[in-house]
Amino acid sequence: MKISLFATLRDRANARSIEIALDKPTTVAELRKIIVAQHPSLAELLPQALVAVNQEFAFDEDRVGPDNEVALFPPVSGG
Amino acid sequence: MNDTPTLIALTEAAIDLNALQRAVTTDLDGTVVAFVGTVRGVTPGAAEPVTTRLEYEAYAAMAESKLRQVANEMREKFAGIHGIALTQRIGEMAVGEPVVAVLVSCGHRGGGAFEAARYGIDRLKQIVPVWKKETRPDGSAWVEGDYVPTRGD
Repeated sequence: MKISLFATLRDRANARSIEIALDKPTTVAELRKIIVAQHPSLAELLPQALVAVNQEFAFDEDRVGPDNEVALFPPVSGG
Repeated sequence: MNDTPTLIALTEAAIDLNALQRAVTTDLDGTVVAFVGTVRGVTPGAAEPVTTRLEYEAYAAMAESKLRQVANEMREKFAGIHGIALTQRIGEMAVGEPVVAVLVSCGHRGGGAFEAARYGIDRLKQIVPVWKKETRPDGSAWVEGDYVPTRGD
């Protein structure tokens, strides 16, 4: 599945998105571990990174699956 | 007449404050409060006080949906207000340029428009997925946000 990246995470990966192998739904906490395992370059930024699922902030116990729109980004700094 | 116009925009175009003011003003209004955020060129006390420019990036679809959520929260908390405009500009911006605008219209100056505009800009900075990269004379770096969303954000 595709995970969109923004700001610091996009720069670190040098890509607007990454692909991860995930064939069945899991939790956001588990998704974070999978991302670190499959994309170690993001490991340092991941603890502070926020996860959005279907354009809503998602939390560790929330479910996420291959059909969801998922994004990973740092705390926001707009305005 | 629409008594509660709500204008949400995430745009690369320059912010036209006069147009926004006209758009939020209904026949019921005698007040428009406008908060305008601009690119600050000097931050006294900072390790590197000079900013040359800022570059804004957004997760566009979610940012538009969160701007709408901020407007809804403003209406729930400040029942007396009428029009709302929330505009976030993205792209590259020079010192002095308006980057974000929150406008609120109301019948009278005591009707909650000041408070609603303050709430709106504070919430925008918490939950709307936009990030800025600051360019200084010594290089460029992403500005770190510090708000960690909780359920309901």
